[in-house]
Amino acid sequence: MKRRAASFLLVGVMVASQLMAGDVTGKVTFKGKPPEQPKINMNADPVCKKAHPGAVFSEEVVVNKNETLKNVLVYIKDGLSAKTYETPKQKLVFDQVGCDYKPHVLGIMIGQELDIKNSDPTLHNVHSLSKLNGQFNRAQPMKNMVMTEKFDKVETFKVKCEVHPWMNAYIGVFNHPYFAVTDDDGSFTLKGVPAGEYTIEAWQEKFGTQTAKVKVDASGKVTADFTYKGN
Amino acid sequence: MLEKRAETPVELRSYGTYYLVFSALLILGTLWAVVDEVDIRRPWKEYQSKYYGLAASKLDSLKIAALTDIDSTQAAVLKQMLDSTIAGMKSTEYVNAASQKEILLKQLDVVTNNWRFARSRSDAAYYQYQRIKLEEGREDGKFRKEVDEDDSSAARYFTEIGVLNGKIALFDEIVGKYRNANTKALKEYQDFYAKASAYESKAEKMRAAPLEIKQVVLNDFELTPFQEIKARVDRCQSCHLGWRDATMADAPEPFKEHPNPELLKLHNPETFGCTPCHRGQGPALSVGDAHGDKDEDWHTPILHGNDIYAACNSCHSSETILEYAKPFTRAKQIVAESGCFGCHDINGFTDYSKIAPPLNSLPAKVKPEWVFHWVKNPKDYTPHTRMPNFKLSDDQAAAVTAYLLNMGKESDFKLARPRGTYVGGNAAEGKKLFETVGCQDCHVAEGFTKIRDARGTSYDVAPELSRVGSKDNPDWLFDWVKNPRHFNPETRMPNLRLTDPEARNIVAYLSTLKDERMENTPPLDLNNPEKIAQGKSVIREYGCFGCHSIKGMEKEGKVSVDLSDFDRKLIEQMDFGNTRELPENSPVDFKADSEGATWVKHTWRSWVYGKLHNSRQYATERIAQKMPVFGFNDDEIGLIRTFLISMTKDYPAVKYQKPNDTRLHEIEAGRRVIGQYNCMQCHNIEGEGGYILAKYDDPALGPPILPQSQGAKVQEQWLYNFLKGPTPIRPWLKIRMPTFGLTDLEISKITKYFLAKAQKDLVIRDYSTMAVDEKYLAPGKKLFQTYQCGKCHPSGPVTLGGETSASDLAPNLAQAHNRLKPDWIIDWLHDPQKLQPGTRMPSFFYEGKGPDESVYGGDADEQIKALEAYVWNLGRRSSVVTLAR
Repeated sequence: MKRRAASFLLVGVMVASQLMAGDVTGKVTFKGKPPEQPKINMNADPVCKKAHPGAVFSEEVVVNKNETLKNVLVYIKDGLSAKTYETPKQKLVFDQVGCDYKPHVLGIMIGQELDIKNSDPTLHNVHSLSKLNGQFNRAQPMKNMVMTEKFDKVETFKVKCEVHPWMNAYIGVFNHPYFAVTDDDGSFTLKGVPAGEYTIEAWQEKFGTQTAKVKVDASGKVTADFTYKGN
Repeated sequence: MLEKRAETPVELRSYGTYYLVFSALLILGTLWAVVDEVDIRRPWKEYQSKYYGLAASKLDSLKIAALTDIDSTQAAVLKQMLDSTIAGMKSTEYVNAASQKEILLKQLDVVTNNWRFARSRSDAAYYQYQRIKLEEGREDGKFRKEVDEDDSSAARYFTEIGVLNGKIALFDEIVGKYRNANTKALKEYQDFYAKASAYESKAEKMRAAPLEIKQVVLNDFELTPFQEIKARVDRCQSCHLGWRDATMADAPEPFKEHPNPELLKLHNPETFGCTPCHRGQGPALSVGDAHGDKDEDWHTPILHGNDIYAACNSCHSSETILEYAKPFTRAKQIVAESGCFGCHDINGFTDYSKIAPPLNSLPAKVKPEWVFHWVKNPKDYTPHTRMPNFKLSDDQAAAVTAYLLNMGKESDFKLARPRGTYVGGNAAEGKKLFETVGCQDCHVAEGFTKIRDARGTSYDVAPELSRVGSKDNPDWLFDWVKNPRHFNPETRMPNLRLTDPEARNIVAYLSTLKDERMENTPPLDLNNPEKIAQGKSVIREYGCFGCHSIKGMEKEGKVSVDLSDFDRKLIEQMDFGNTRELPENSPVDFKADSEGATWVKHTWRSWVYGKLHNSRQYATERIAQKMPVFGFNDDEIGLIRTFLISMTKDYPAVKYQKPNDTRLHEIEAGRRVIGQYNCMQCHNIEGEGGYILAKYDDPALGPPILPQSQGAKVQEQWLYNFLKGPTPIRPWLKIRMPTFGLTDLEISKITKYFLAKAQKDLVIRDYSTMAVDEKYLAPGKKLFQTYQCGKCHPSGPVTLGGETSASDLAPNLAQAHNRLKPDWIIDWLHDPQKLQPGTRMPSFFYEGKGPDESVYGGDADEQIKALEAYVWNLGRRSSVVTLAR
């Protein structure tokens, strides 16, 4: 009984330390000349072509107007305790619209449900090139088909469509909720990070990873900025 | 009278000191014996207590982690519930009810006893009453009265019992309400902490575990050299305790978890022990003796690193590919490809064909000066050749050249076309063809080494052609590329079905690849009979016929030693020549110093390393060494040495060996053919090979992988026709499946190999007359359209040219009916990933449902049958001839 009491005390301390949490915010800047993105030829499928009256370009590197990078996955790499975080009940959506994946980069927690949807009236297949989570490759030949997937290993992997070879996207699976993807202004926020010292990593599909060390104080705000350079 | 003794014969010296010393020694000796027996000679005891301590502490921390992992809110709720039920058990209502119940229970006891006694008294009185009635024939009033009285009091007590039970039930309900609530809350609370408690009880078990020797005995494991059955006793697990304990994954040795639990499912150490795989001295109980590396009388010490895989061969000697022993698979591949069996007898390598071309028609093929340079040092012409360097003198090389060219004059080989047919090719076009049509996928030329690098061996299986223009006669080259089997009926070089202009272009290109050094050739005396005779004796001495077929030397034996028991060769039997000895504690086994001296450690492993590194270095003035220098890299030397470790006649009893049954026999026969023709250069088979995919950005544009299920996939007749004369399945691919000119027997072996790998038997069927169930055709067509199969699969004639989308790279379904097996189509549609992991074909069916619910209510089985029928009927209905190249 004494041992159990000690455990309760430990739990108490853990809960208390959870309450002392801050936000990590930052920006992913891009310096230099943005690499030219190849134009995508959608002639092979009239449905895709119809969805894009103008030219379509690859999303491998998207530089925002304010010289920041879009679609960079930022997450805590090291420093978290080994505890298991609760899986969010909220489902995420991964859509195929106009023969393009929305979003292009997606972060998700282990066990969290992902609705993979086809909003196009054409055949798509979703082929995950995962190494740890077990590959899947499923067809969605009809519009508005939805399938729900879950992942159980920490991994970032590519997803592609064999029917439309230009379609690809990336999914990052995490065992904690502290991850974000940069948007049109290149910024990100990791909310409610418990006090402590962490390694934050930024991942970009072409340029790879960068890391930064941060120290989060009780209810403080910390900044971690990243800069990628073009050639 | 006896004279009185002058003095009493009493020993006056005192031996006390001696007694003291000796007794002390005896006591010390006894103590030492006890300590030695119990502790010093039982080092495993310390390991065991350390292990149990470590395991317990790991479980403790797991317990703490499990406790911190829990949802604190829920824990608090459960605790509160438990506390409230405990409080409930102290409430007045409960306490009163419980004590009332106690009192009533006591009363019930008393009344029940009274009732029983009353009934007994009644029985006794009734007996007396009856006895008197029978014996004396009268009614006895006294006993009759007693009976009646006791009966009535029994009835009274019985009513009283009922009343008491009723009262008790009322209190019971109250007590039960509290008690049940408490039990339930306690159970929920305990379940919530179940994980932690499980760790705690396991930890307790570890702390209480007794120290004892753990041994595995295999009574009939092996035979002694005198062919008597000998047991194998293993006590390794007395110290190596954590082998199946996942918490010990990062623990120090000897407690670490075994790195390959999957393998242990097939070789359970609890019944199979450890030494059959790891070697060492099983019964020994101290580290050095058990590992056998500190016991110089023990000849099979523990194996380290890749060498462990050598032990697999003891039971798996008939297999060349072992799923769990990739390094050993590779070692066997190197031994086979390097042709070691040409000079050495090697167990398991008796049915391989010679690895090098026949030498009976050389004058038609090569230039004499090239032969001279080649035999003198092949690595000079192409460093990656498999032909080793025999280090012949100029004189010997010239003699061999003279013999071979002279013998070739008797050859009846004639070019198929007149001399000069090759003239007029375009070298630039030839280069393009060389790169696309398949030549480049086996032969390196002009520094394109991507595929060689992917293969990862120090040697090429097909010769590098970067200098071939100075080697081969162009007339012969034309003849050769058009039809390699014309010159050498047994060659593995396939026919790429080149047209005459294509062949001319390739010859033109290859002729530009020159080697200027050929010009410095000493004058060759090719017709001198003495030289010719000398050449013949050099060839006999060095055993060239081990790898090449040479006319007149077909019956020669192997020139070198049998390696089948090489592992048991003792260090005393190894000659280190003039090399210097490295001390035993040296960190390296072998080194060459700046003064040109070589140093070798005097161990079996180091000797082998030195021999394979430079086979001539143990030669002295008196002891010649004939083994040529191969130029293996360190990685290959290590693997060949692993292979040599496997070469032992100490193998387990037959019942422990992998049975060489029909299926394995068929698989191995197929592997021989596949290895012989180097199929793995292009195709990934059994997870190995597909090296040429390294040059494709998109692997889908390269040759297909051939999965385990291949034998279940294609019809035997189709495979036969395809291998005899390949027809394009994916006509947009530039690379061509070549025509290997396989014999019917070879094709049968490949067919049976694929079937065996797919766990199928050979069944003869006429697929062309197989009927289609008409009712499925219309729904099949609808599904084919809804599921847009045609987005990737053509099902009619294909026009080449224009834009080819990568999505088109799926086989033409008009061929399905004469290529595929219907059962396979059904299995394939159910789950393509299962049959071919990583395939581009997506699954349309999931959890028994198809996406279109308007057909067969979405039932996957029926929809798949319909699609199969429709696809099967596609080519037959339209009788489309798919595009032929």
